[in-house]
Amino acid sequence: MNKLVNIAKSIAINAPAESDPFLNVPLAVSVSGLERRYGERLVIKSLDITIRKGEFVALLGESGCGKTTLLRALAGLDAPDAGRIEAPGRPAVVFQEHRLLPWASVWENVALGNEKAIGKDGASRALGEVGLAGREDDWPRNLSGGQAQRVALARALVRDPKLLLLDEPFAALDALTRIKMHVLVRELVSRHRPGVLIVTHDVDEAVVLADRILVMRSGQIAASYRPAEHAPGELRPLLLDELGVTTH
Amino acid sequence: MAEISSPLQDFSADSRSGFAIRKATLYSVLSWLAPLLLLCLWEAASQLGLIASQVMPAPSRVAETGWQLAITGELFVHLGASLLRATAGFAIGGSIGFALGVAVGFSPLAHALLDRSIQMIRAIPFLAMLPLVIVWFGVDEGGKIFLVSLAVLFPIYINTVLGVRQIDPKLMELAKVTGMNWPAIVRRIILPGAMPSILTGVRYALAHAWLALVIAETLATTKGIGFLAMDAREFLQTDVILLTIIIYSVIGVGADALARLLETRLLGWHPNFAKGAR
Repeated sequence: MNKLVNIAKSIAINAPAESDPFLNVPLAVSVSGLERRYGERLVIKSLDITIRKGEFVALLGESGCGKTTLLRALAGLDAPDAGRIEAPGRPAVVFQEHRLLPWASVWENVALGNEKAIGKDGASRALGEVGLAGREDDWPRNLSGGQAQRVALARALVRDPKLLLLDEPFAALDALTRIKMHVLVRELVSRHRPGVLIVTHDVDEAVVLADRILVMRSGQIAASYRPAEHAPGELRPLLLDELGVTTH
Repeated sequence: MAEISSPLQDFSADSRSGFAIRKATLYSVLSWLAPLLLLCLWEAASQLGLIASQVMPAPSRVAETGWQLAITGELFVHLGASLLRATAGFAIGGSIGFALGVAVGFSPLAHALLDRSIQMIRAIPFLAMLPLVIVWFGVDEGGKIFLVSLAVLFPIYINTVLGVRQIDPKLMELAKVTGMNWPAIVRRIILPGAMPSILTGVRYALAHAWLALVIAETLATTKGIGFLAMDAREFLQTDVILLTIIIYSVIGVGADALARLLETRLLGWHPNFAKGAR
């Protein structure tokens, strides 16, 4: 009951109910009153976010605004000082670096920590989904940067997470590979329908990928946009303005 | 233009690489030349009576003695006893060193509690423990195995600590995110990540184990390569003494080759160890 009240509250905070296409979808994660301080400095201030299954949320913000801290808190890598995080099941994370074990084959990396349940077949299927069928027994060192990041994506999705956290996953890739990855990620998310939170510096990436874009400023959510509600090209200058970049 | 020049270049490249291979074979043959020549000189000098056979018996005598001992089976009894001591000591000292190394490498608490004491014990030359070992264990197998274990423990410990410390903390985060339990983390991340360093430790440990074994086997024993040497000394059998020295050295070389084989097998993923990797 208490949970329902919380959910209702966060919906009211996050977005007007009538415009939310994810209103009746199950929850991927709900954060309320989150706080994190490093010494004297408050990095995250009473922050609330709700993400529903299948919803793609981008978190934009300048360096040091606390967006990575938020993602790490959601991933369970950083303990918040106050607040609640409610998430069904364990979230999956794709980091900026692929973080593949160099001493394990590609399929073992995909199934990592869950080899028995996932098995080579499960890993193969996931690799097929990211366009790397037949590379199961390869060493990670034989993969290109983009391929390694695809394996990291397969490793995340093979666990069938309710919440997928992406920490600037395409920042180290070249421009063409990045565009390919955007298409792939959209496709995978629409098939598996996890809730997604992507942390990024890239305004265009956020516009292309996200159902909802949150702008974070000094530890709080300062603004929220739905790309579907804006004309093409309209959102980019708005977001850049929010980030303190003047374009004229 | 291009059509003419490319076969020419191919040809010259081919002939050059062929020459390089022949040169390498030549050098490897040449590297055996000096020891073989020395052996021949030694044999000739002994046959001509220039070296007294009690000081330095001819290589052919040593080989013959080896053959005789092998036929009677005596050699293998002693060899077996020595290898058993070395293996048991290595297994015990190696596992303790590894376990301590993983604990100290990972946990600051374990480091605070254990590292100083271990470093203090390490500062003792293990041969200085010999009288104490005899008092504790007598002159039985126990004392010999203890000595070998002690010699093996520290190189393995130090290199395991180093290897564990070198593991990328980002991979440990990954382990946390994927929900791995501790046994899985040790097996999938810590052990393979620290393996290059651990294998360096293994190679040092093998050398130390051998030294410890030689000393341990000169204590009162009735079996082992060391016993063979001590026994031969009593009867001035220089050929047997020489044979035991050669056996020690052959096993030492063999153990090192084994460690290197382990490196190529276990570190196939590592660009610096993989064969043929560019």
